[in-house]
Amino acid sequence: MKQISVLLCFRYLQHRRIVLLSMAAVALSCALLIATDSLFTGFINAVESSVSRHLGDIILEAPSGRTITEYDTLIDSLCDADSIESATAVLSSQGLLLSAPGKVKTARIWGIELPRRLAVTPLHEALLFQKDKPAEQVGFVVPDSPDAIGGIVGIGVLAQPDEATDAYDMDAVKAMVGQRMALTTGSMVQDCTNTDSSQPRFSRKVIKLNLVDVAKTGVYEFDQSFVMLPIEELSKTLYPEKETVANLIHIRLTAGADEEKAMAVVRGVWRSFAEDRFDWYGFVSVTSAKQLNAQLIAEYRKQMNVLLFIFGLVSVGIILLVFCIFYLIVMTRRKDIGVLKSCGVSSGSVAGLFVLFGTVVGVVGALAGVGLGWLIIDNINAIEQAIASVFGIKLWKASTYMFTQIPNTMHWGSVLWITGAGIIAAAVGSLIPAVAAARVKPVETLQYE
Amino acid sequence: MIKWLLAWRYFFKRPISILAVVAVALCVFIVLVVMTVMNGLLRDFKQKNHDYAGDCIIASDSLVGFGYYEDFMDILREQPYIEAVSPMAKGVGLIHLKQYKWDNGIEIHGIDPLLHSQVTNFANTLHYQKQTPGNAFSPQYAPQLDGCVTGIDVIPLGRRNSDGTYSFHDKPMQMELVISVFPLNMKGGLLRSLDLVSTKSFFYSDDSHSGLVRVDGAVAYIPLEQAQILCGMDSPIKRISSLHIKFTDGTSFSYSKVAKVKFLWDEFVVQNADKPGSELFANVRVQSWQENRRSIIAPMEKEQIMMTMLFLMLGVITVFIVFVVLYMTISHKSKDIGILKSMGAPMSSILGIFLLFAIFIALIGSLIGSVSGWIFLYKVNDLEDWLYAHHGWQLWDRTVYAIGDIPNQVEPEVLAIIVGSAVFACMIGALIPGLQAARKKPVQSLQVNQL
Repeated sequence: MKQISVLLCFRYLQHRRIVLLSMAAVALSCALLIATDSLFTGFINAVESSVSRHLGDIILEAPSGRTITEYDTLIDSLCDADSIESATAVLSSQGLLLSAPGKVKTARIWGIELPRRLAVTPLHEALLFQKDKPAEQVGFVVPDSPDAIGGIVGIGVLAQPDEATDAYDMDAVKAMVGQRMALTTGSMVQDCTNTDSSQPRFSRKVIKLNLVDVAKTGVYEFDQSFVMLPIEELSKTLYPEKETVANLIHIRLTAGADEEKAMAVVRGVWRSFAEDRFDWYGFVSVTSAKQLNAQLIAEYRKQMNVLLFIFGLVSVGIILLVFCIFYLIVMTRRKDIGVLKSCGVSSGSVAGLFVLFGTVVGVVGALAGVGLGWLIIDNINAIEQAIASVFGIKLWKASTYMFTQIPNTMHWGSVLWITGAGIIAAAVGSLIPAVAAARVKPVETLQYE
Repeated sequence: MIKWLLAWRYFFKRPISILAVVAVALCVFIVLVVMTVMNGLLRDFKQKNHDYAGDCIIASDSLVGFGYYEDFMDILREQPYIEAVSPMAKGVGLIHLKQYKWDNGIEIHGIDPLLHSQVTNFANTLHYQKQTPGNAFSPQYAPQLDGCVTGIDVIPLGRRNSDGTYSFHDKPMQMELVISVFPLNMKGGLLRSLDLVSTKSFFYSDDSHSGLVRVDGAVAYIPLEQAQILCGMDSPIKRISSLHIKFTDGTSFSYSKVAKVKFLWDEFVVQNADKPGSELFANVRVQSWQENRRSIIAPMEKEQIMMTMLFLMLGVITVFIVFVVLYMTISHKSKDIGILKSMGAPMSSILGIFLLFAIFIALIGSLIGSVSGWIFLYKVNDLEDWLYAHHGWQLWDRTVYAIGDIPNQVEPEVLAIIVGSAVFACMIGALIPGLQAARKKPVQSLQVNQL
């Protein structure tokens, strides 16, 4: 009799086209949930990893207005630790860049060390003109004028992406290489003319630089705001009375290193380095890249959960749909059920037949949903481009969503629970029709009148 | 009449129709809540942009700006449909807060605060000088000093509370802000010499809270003349970056007025084509506030469209459910259909019965969904307050998002569209089973072995 149950189950699957509706509904809901979860998770991961990729895993920052001297010693000590792979110093400041007549933008100015920075971040890959050179040859040298200061500028500082395509005019950007630009920034200096010499005065400085390369990281915030100079030049301009200084240390951890332990190591190394050098050493901040965006990421996760909850609620409709379809089948197959029961099949077996039927619908629908979800996620950038070219609507813009590409990684971690929920929903939907089928009396359904 | 009676009877006598009603109610509830919140956010955002920009904007794409604006302002003031005009000089600069040794990039907006308040909502965005916007640039602690109004989030003083409101002192704190700008000449190059950066100290006099993140976090307002000097717009021809216009009939302005302003501007450009600096007119655009703020508003509108598309899928499930319920009802009512047809009922009447049945499902489902959605929206802010007080949970963290209360005003037109869509979806779902019923032959359905 069990074989008959299974046989009937598959026979109904093959011959009742209406069953396809319930499968389609399960598939659609699973695909929707998988696509939403994967897109959100991909976006959150991209936010998390972009900070860590471009700033390092741990950031050591001096308090406002303070600078770190002899940072080479600190970096050597840090690199001696097992959990630290590399570290690099940065002198950070705010500024204004005049890149062409009438084109002024606010910029975040970084004095960086090359090639040490290339070991900590993927800056090498982001450079438009020096990415094919070996790391040790990447630099700020201005061809034909070795004394000039070279600068690497984020592509978004130099040009604005096209409104319709969100792409940069690369020819215009290339034409700017070698161009002279003016950068203004400032620092606190002791005012010699002031009678009260203990009062520092804010002083604006102008740096003339030549564009040697353009950075295109694909992260809007970095591309829109960064101007990188040799740390020595920026330090000389901002703090002419001091040796080369930094106010940030970006640290890359070895693969698999425990972040919390590594932060403790960094604090320890800093303490032993700075204790005798700086009276402010206790005010330094040691933060992980993940902590920097923790609040934002928590918000994104919350929005994702709210959206998944809404779509989950929508999926309750599947239970109703499966219920309706199965009830319809039970009502139209009362004779079959009567025959089965008159042959000795128990009510439990009849109910089991319909629950099995529902589960099979759930399994097939959920698998189709996974396939559909994967297709959508894998081709999401192509789909977005197709929408842009057909309808002229650019749905994804780096200025709104931070990245030039839509994160298209399938989040397999959620596939399991979504598939499981889809199957359970279909099985639950078939429960009441199964009970109704079990309660069919053969004597009533098989009578001639 | 019989159609109505039968449809009504089928609806009440078939318990399965309750399921379809539940499905419709669920869909209407979700769509109503989500659309009301999203529409509210978008409407609020658009209103803030309108308040910030005025009704019409004549703006240059270049930081160099354009000249002869005073002559054009005179022309505009003569027009009966124009209530007020306000010039603005924009620049990009660096701000340095002496007390905190803090530096940041900002946008400088040079304005006449009284004129600007007549055109935009500037006065209402102020905290200390809301009633006297003319004094916006006079610090209360030292009125003789040059004042500066900063966007409320420009200076990171940590005044934003967890509910999105701000804490203020009784009087503005005494803070000296050093603003530096590259002064540009009429060709966009640096004015005078490369080493000269215009730097001037201002004293914080008030906050401006427009509710727009990009404005509140990046703009510092200073007097128009000071901005012109700092940005190099004071000589040889006085220049500005934009003219903001308010039309006489407030918000209900028409595009024809923008077209009239555009016509006036084109005439003005022709008349002044021979004057020095007239080449700068080429960068100037006359736009309505919607066109001017397009790039800011468009992403939010797109998100709303995407959300609507996703919820269209909800409608598909409703169509399926109604289809199945109708199919089931019809398969049980073949005898009734056969009798009706044998009595001469036309196909259209049979179809009409089942379409009416679907409409009942849609209307009752919509009614339940709308009422429950309305109650939920009415209480949504209280619910969020309660969740925050007891579980620390907010739908949007107000320290991250510039959102006040959750928008909960149900728009009648949105409700009408949702109910209309529900009726349409149910009718689509009922169409195929209804047609099948209508095409049934009485001779087949009334055979004894079919009964």
